[in-house]
Amino acid sequence: MIIASLVMMSIFSPSAVVGTMMEASKMAITMCIEFIGIYAVWMGIMQVLDDCKLSHKLSAILSKPVQYVFGKTDAETEKNICLNIASNIIGIGSAATPYGIKAMQGLDKGGKVATRAMIMLVVINSTGIQLLPTTVIGMRAIAGSISPSCILWPTIVTTFVPTILGILLVSVLYRRRRHG
Amino acid sequence: MADLFLPVMIAFVMIYALIKGVDAYSAFVNGAKGALPLMASLMPFIIAMFVAVELFRHCGLSGYLCNFLSPVFRLIGIPPEVCELTLIRPFSSNAAYVLLRDIFAKYGADSYIGKCASVIMGSSDTIFYVSSIYFASTKVKKTLLTIPIALICNIVGAILACFCCRFI
Repeated sequence: MIIASLVMMSIFSPSAVVGTMMEASKMAITMCIEFIGIYAVWMGIMQVLDDCKLSHKLSAILSKPVQYVFGKTDAETEKNICLNIASNIIGIGSAATPYGIKAMQGLDKGGKVATRAMIMLVVINSTGIQLLPTTVIGMRAIAGSISPSCILWPTIVTTFVPTILGILLVSVLYRRRRHG
Repeated sequence: MADLFLPVMIAFVMIYALIKGVDAYSAFVNGAKGALPLMASLMPFIIAMFVAVELFRHCGLSGYLCNFLSPVFRLIGIPPEVCELTLIRPFSSNAAYVLLRDIFAKYGADSYIGKCASVIMGSSDTIFYVSSIYFASTKVKKTLLTIPIALICNIVGAILACFCCRFI
């Protein structure tokens, strides 16, 4: 993509190449600084949540549906899946990934073909079940929105429907054949 | 209503911490401390993506691609202005944030376009990144239909996002 862009720009407007790149990196730095602010506030609040063990409470609530959707897994893996989804829901994506990876390794039976539970986990994670789009709300506030969090309800709807669709698709396409 | 949700939630967390006897202040400081190192580690990637995205747009390639695809997007109810964002979201969240910031600057965060873009951004994830790191931790070589299923869900999400935004 970069090479194609560079070639095209060299043909049509060679003088603008370096200018564009510098302008872009300047904007990137501005955005990084804005992001430090957004992250600091939310990571602080999430840490409070974490210290209160609220994410563990949430994952306890989730364990029944998880058992239903994923089928039989061992206790450790199930706990990791619950914590992964719980962290996603309250918006600590950076905490969700390590649990997700641990859960994947727990689901790994050494086979070369993905199992139903693995596909389920990746699909659920990539549809991004996030209840609090914290970064987007922060960016909207910086951009001067009069109501930064008005996107909250639509985001919740559009995050749940595709997730449920994903679960259904995986369930229908891969009935519990292998590994239960 | 929605404006009230976040302040109430944050207050709830603080009160809950108080009841549980958790030191909310030091927990907050501890969490916030992580923001700078996190950003420092992400910064090189953000700059690289920013430069790539800007080049891609300045040379006009992205314009051609979106002109080509916008009738399709219009047909399923996604405004052409967020076409770029929808396309780039599954690949890189940093690049998508670049576009989102640009959309806010150009159309305003409270415009229909701005809202659509926010919801699309908030409700989906980087499919290719997530599946690559998750499967990389296992021995699996065949991922079967993982990516197609995730992509279908993403497109449905984007259509739904633009539909929901008509009502707010």
